[in-house]
Amino acid sequence: MNTILELRHVSKFFGGLAANSDISFALEKGMIKGLIGPNGAGKTTLFNCMTGYYPPSHGEILFKETSITGLRPDRVCRLGMARTWQKVRPLVKMTVLDNVMVGALCRVNSLVKAREIAMEQLEVVKMAGKARVIAGGLPIGERKKLEVARVLATKPELLLLDEVMGGLNPAESEEIIRLILEIKSRGITQMVIEHDMKTIMRISDRIVVLNSGEKLAEGAPAEIVANQEVVDAYLGESNA
Amino acid sequence: MSIITEIIETLKKTPPARLLTFLALTGALFIFPQAVDSPYALHIMILVFLSVIMGGSWNILGGYTGQYSVGHAAYFGAGAYATMMMMQFREIPPWFGMLAGVAAAIAAGLIIGSICFRLRGPYFVLASIAATEIMRLSALNLKDLTNGAEGILATEIPPLSIGSALITDFSSKAPFYYIGLVFALAIIGVTWLVQHSKLGYCFQAIREDQDAAHSLGINPGMYKQLSLTISAAFTSLAGSFYAVYIGFIDPTTVLSLDMSVQIVLICIIGGIGTIFGPVVGAMVLVPLSEALRSNLITQTLISAGLVSEESPVGQFLKENLAHAHVLIYGILVVVVILFMPEGVLGFLRKRLAERGSKTA
Amino acid sequence: MDSSSLQPLLLFLQSLISGILVGGVYALIGIGLTIIFGVMRIINFAHGDIMMIGMYLTYNLFTLAGIDPFLSIVVCIPLMFLFGGLLQKVFINRVLNALPQNQILLTIGLGLIMSNTMMLIYTSDYKILTTEYSSGSFSLMGLSISQPLAISFVITAVITAFLYWFLMKTDMGQAIRATAQDRQAAQLMGINVKRMSIIAFGLGAALAGTAGALIAPTYYIFPQIGSSFTLKAFVITVLGGMGSVIGATLGGILIGIAESLGAVYISSGWKEVLVYVIFLLALLFKPSGLLGKSRM
Repeated sequence: MNTILELRHVSKFFGGLAANSDISFALEKGMIKGLIGPNGAGKTTLFNCMTGYYPPSHGEILFKETSITGLRPDRVCRLGMARTWQKVRPLVKMTVLDNVMVGALCRVNSLVKAREIAMEQLEVVKMAGKARVIAGGLPIGERKKLEVARVLATKPELLLLDEVMGGLNPAESEEIIRLILEIKSRGITQMVIEHDMKTIMRISDRIVVLNSGEKLAEGAPAEIVANQEVVDAYLGESNA
Repeated sequence: MSIITEIIETLKKTPPARLLTFLALTGALFIFPQAVDSPYALHIMILVFLSVIMGGSWNILGGYTGQYSVGHAAYFGAGAYATMMMMQFREIPPWFGMLAGVAAAIAAGLIIGSICFRLRGPYFVLASIAATEIMRLSALNLKDLTNGAEGILATEIPPLSIGSALITDFSSKAPFYYIGLVFALAIIGVTWLVQHSKLGYCFQAIREDQDAAHSLGINPGMYKQLSLTISAAFTSLAGSFYAVYIGFIDPTTVLSLDMSVQIVLICIIGGIGTIFGPVVGAMVLVPLSEALRSNLITQTLISAGLVSEESPVGQFLKENLAHAHVLIYGILVVVVILFMPEGVLGFLRKRLAERGSKTA
Repeated sequence: MDSSSLQPLLLFLQSLISGILVGGVYALIGIGLTIIFGVMRIINFAHGDIMMIGMYLTYNLFTLAGIDPFLSIVVCIPLMFLFGGLLQKVFINRVLNALPQNQILLTIGLGLIMSNTMMLIYTSDYKILTTEYSSGSFSLMGLSISQPLAISFVITAVITAFLYWFLMKTDMGQAIRATAQDRQAAQLMGINVKRMSIIAFGLGAALAGTAGALIAPTYYIFPQIGSSFTLKAFVITVLGGMGSVIGATLGGILIGIAESLGAVYISSGWKEVLVYVIFLLALLFKPSGLLGKSRM
């Protein structure tokens, strides 16, 4: 099995508004797929449908060749697809370590084992020293890293990253890119929503472009940059 | 079993001083009735234990899982009524009636939970209040079942014997003291277990951010219901205990909004989401309540010369302060929410942390 | 049709009418609550107790100064408005950014303080305010209509119409609605949102107090009467959509009818249970109200 995720004609309507319209694509195991598009294109909505936050109005989502359409978020996570949030969601009153342990407890029942797994992930994101810090006191860059560590503790096979570099300075962003590549080297497939084109070009194997809820284009980074429609819709606004 | 390994690991990590203090205090509490020969002192302690059970039970759902039910009187009343109805109408001893109470409370919790847990924040609070009001009004109206507004009066508690050996005939306060102490230690133990187990992590994750928890593999519906089940069971034990000890119940005492507020108050005064918060809350509320009820405060003011007994203020205080304990509850709620939302424990902790960082 | 078959129909119409009339007063309470929620997103659990204070105020004006309850509204409205504004400024303002659970607990505490203070002052004895028309009724098409209820309905209608005009057509009313819709945006437009909160709470309190004055001739007056009205007010606002004045008006009348019919066809003991069951059903199935909107 090489296709880890497949979307078939996925649509999501909110009342009369088509937030996602007939989206189809596939992810191969181990790849990094970029998901780009102007604000309001429907990227986060797509993540929400995929992870069961709400079911799609039409279409099918297949994870590891089994249908997961409409499954609840906790089931989707346990099956191996996990996501981070565009607006970071730390468990504010709990420590950094406890936050990551919550993720680890998805897979184990013992607190001792969960602690081990949590510390491992904190090592990966280089935050092991902050294990006892209360999450609420962290600056934004570390909150983002915490969220990645926490979601890694759920041992995902597919990781959805929603603007994980939003609001970070260049040094922090570089750190996240390092993490993403490290995650890739562990064999975890990733889908990354990001606004910074240079980053997306660097890390993505393939890119899907959304615009106004529809899939505008899909292809290798070089193809996407050369695609006139994409340029018009999205890249034309910022510096290419 | 891994939970036993967990317990041993955690105990090993606890500073010995803390462990010893806890054991010493517990030991002292056990010999207290032998050492002190005052029924009144025992009565106060029994009320403290009762409050610890009430507050500690709510703490599991409200403090750890973040679901602020202001309708916990439903479970308190379920325990009280099940026990009393069985004891008075069917002559079933309260130790069995208590179990019926737990079953009734859990059943009520499943129904109430299935309705309320779909709601968030203030709507959850309102729904929990409405559900309990439905129970109270039902108890009032179903007179054939519950005696309605008249309530149920306990005429006699059957003696407790195992085989042919009589353990107690409940004529003194000591048996109540020990039962209360055991239940109070039980809820503290359960709280500790919850905090040091996967359950506690899941509960707290739901409290902090339900959607984030959901995306991390936690099924909020299931865990919230589980939390409520534990909470309801222990609240109903408190209700059963109250019923047999006080000897009289009616819908206005055990199923009222006042009772629900009192339960919440015990917990938020001490500090929600902590193991000993309800203990602190109980130790603040019960003496305060008793001091009011027994006119202790009025007497003190009079003997201190601040108020003269014959003056209108003095007369007013003498007549009314005893009934003012609900007013004091209201004032306490306002003061705690405005100035100490983390409760006494949280407040002290912050102070100590500030002092620590100043001297560091 | 002979008279015996008219009876059930008459009974139904009678209960319907008195339900609508009482519903008008309920609507007033609900509107007050919904304005407070709309502007501040606070669930005011002391609302019924504020109404209770309005009742006692009216009672005292009547027994001490002989002022007719319906006339004393002129005094009641400004006094209760000030009271509400004071509550907001001193207490509610401090928890505007706190957890909603803490906000509710605070208002519950304030309500307890209000009802128990009144209990200390007046004892729990039921007080009755009897005027010459308290039990008066007049006949309309064969139906007997309670005089005080009819008068209070008319007054309620006038107040509601005035309120609607105020919110829609005046600058201040529009400022209040803007604050309810989007607090930050309103602030950026130069609206003093803190002042709007005080006014909103004052308005809510004035409406609750007025409702108290209106029902004083027909209900027993005692300190604990507030809590059942608070809960009813919540049912009304949820049914009507939190923040919607029209919704609260309709919701109030609906609940008045439900209670009245419930008392006649089920029993007076169970009529409140009916209201709470409707509440839970509404919360479950139509949380944004029967009209489907949670706006003002």
